[in-house]
Amino acid sequence: MSSFGMLLRNENMKIYRRPRTWAMVGILILALMLLAGLMKWDESSSQDSAANWKQNLMQDNEHMQQSLKEQAADSSPEMKQMMEERILLNEYAIEHDINPNENSLWSIVNASSMLIVLVTLLTVVIAADMVAAEFSWGTIKLLLVGPASRSKVLLSKYAASLLFALFLLVVNFAVSFALGAGLEGMDGLSQPLLTVGADGAVHEGSMLLDSLQRYGFSIVQLIMYVTMAFMISASFRSSSMAIAFSLLFILAGNTLVNILARYEWVKYLMFANVDLSQYVSGTPIRPEMTLTFSIGILVAYYALFHFITWIMFTKRDVAG
Amino acid sequence: MNEEAVLQLRNVTKKIGRRTIVDNLTLDVQRGEVFGFLGPNGAGKTTTIRMIVGLISMTKGEALIKGVSVRKHFELAMTHVGAIVENPEMYKFLTGYQNLVLCARRHAGVTKERIKEVVKLVGLENRINDKVKRYSLGMRQRLGVAQALLHKPSVLIFDEPTNGLDPAGIRELRDYMRNVAQQEGIGVIVSSHLLSEMELMCDRVAIIQAGKLIDVRTMSELKNAVGHQQIIVEVENPVHTMEYLSTALPGLAISLQDGKLEIMAGRERIPELNRTLVYADIDVYSIRMANLSLEDQFLELTRGEQIV
Ligand SMILES: Nc1ncnc2c1ncn2[C@@H]1O[C@H](COP(=O)(O)OP(=O)(O)OP(=O)(O)O)[C@@H](O)[C@H]1O
Ligand SMILES: [Mg+2]
Repeated sequence: MSSFGMLLRNENMKIYRRPRTWAMVGILILALMLLAGLMKWDESSSQDSAANWKQNLMQDNEHMQQSLKEQAADSSPEMKQMMEERILLNEYAIEHDINPNENSLWSIVNASSMLIVLVTLLTVVIAADMVAAEFSWGTIKLLLVGPASRSKVLLSKYAASLLFALFLLVVNFAVSFALGAGLEGMDGLSQPLLTVGADGAVHEGSMLLDSLQRYGFSIVQLIMYVTMAFMISASFRSSSMAIAFSLLFILAGNTLVNILARYEWVKYLMFANVDLSQYVSGTPIRPEMTLTFSIGILVAYYALFHFITWIMFTKRDVAG
Repeated sequence: MNEEAVLQLRNVTKKIGRRTIVDNLTLDVQRGEVFGFLGPNGAGKTTTIRMIVGLISMTKGEALIKGVSVRKHFELAMTHVGAIVENPEMYKFLTGYQNLVLCARRHAGVTKERIKEVVKLVGLENRINDKVKRYSLGMRQRLGVAQALLHKPSVLIFDEPTNGLDPAGIRELRDYMRNVAQQEGIGVIVSSHLLSEMELMCDRVAIIQAGKLIDVRTMSELKNAVGHQQIIVEVENPVHTMEYLSTALPGLAISLQDGKLEIMAGRERIPELNRTLVYADIDVYSIRMANLSLEDQFLELTRGEQIV
């Protein structure tokens, strides 16, 4: 009987021996380089203001204090709070000699979290191909006529898809870190993250933890989309169809949720819940939605996707 | 139940919708024999093989491999099976060797030496490190055979194995099948509609027609079957003669083909037949024996049935 570890190794071999996979890694690295390069260019084009940043920050603070006084009546409380916090942060930065507008290694690492969208799309392509390609190639017969149950084969494929996502995430983080270190130097490594706590005082936090949190929220999204693509892959049995439908659903789903946000039932759609960062920074799509609600919905969809995938893969005849 | 049987089919049935594609197939394949599934296009050979290897479900019945039910203990049963179902399929972006490594990992205990041994056996040593996309059909077929043999199965199943092989390749495969069957006691199952091939390869054949098992015969039975020799008689008035003979010599199967009489009988009946015709004053132009080829016998057995 096949061991799960060996099946997983086989699936990995099929992913990493394909030139296409390395083209994807190349695209990701290229995108990261472009992002870092743009940030560097943007920074150097505003060089003169960088020299006297303390003065600029003080000016900013004066402006904000003025507008707080003048427009106290017609600005919203959130707006007010935001400005007050900015003033506090700026004062702290001037005092401790930390230039907040200067690019550091961490600004590039933080910006790289935006590219997790790309990581997600690339992994979705791999996942959508995972089962369907075996049908397209005809190798499904080879795969199933062996001492491994269909469930085991399926699980090894799912695990390989998630491992590929992890691999791309590590590449994303590592390359952005290296680019950051190369372009901005290692000095920024110990730079703290400044936040205003509930007590109204400025706190120094870890930039690394902040980056990892950004990654964390995106990973929830990534896992949901990859699991969906995997289900589509097992259902359609055609690579191109599976890839096309997965990407279409992701694009259309998000747009649709925004268009239909005024209807209450929208909150039961996966796409309305998949971005958990809406509860930390930003506002939820529907006002009555909570973090627990979203997690519940996501878990339900996750289980449903796996159930459908399993039925589609293990219960159907393989002919032709 | 025979203990030597490596594959047992019991009332294996497949229905798709209302159609019965395979109908109550029951047969045993012994260890050490090459067993043929013989039948015209659409007879249900591939469907039967797909059920044996678990690619499609059975509507009814059971397939046992070394006594292990494919349905109930799939993983265990499959450790004993090597198969090529229709075309051999492999990963084209990998080399031949890498494809074999993939196969080896799925089975316990396949060593590097075993891979080398099998590569040599199928004669792919020179090309094994080439990408499969650069292989010819016959080379793929050989690699497919290597994949099926790698884990030393007890049951080898080939659906149309010689499809795409050159004569030398066909011969090698044939010899190899005979060898593994006899020396290692493997039960080999091949399906084909090429009778001439079955004749050279198989010990026994199951004749399948429209999903039903018509007969299981040993090859020697098929070859020596006396009832399947023919006497061909040319006479002046065949229709009249046929009527006359059916009363004069009851029990003879006579048919009319191209103005000649075809009589299903062996050569020992010729003197009697000749006498009868002469006494009845029938003008005879010729009487001769025609040995039915296996091909003809097969057609005889499945005559008149349309492809379903
Ligand atoms: N998925 C399917 N759905 C419906 N009918 C099918 C399906 N697969 C096969 N059949 C039918 O089952 C019958 C048997 O097909 P099968 O492929 O087993 O024949 P075969 O004996 O292998 O023929 P060949 O010599 O042409 O390979 C055919 O009539 C075919 O049309
Ligand atoms: Mg067939």
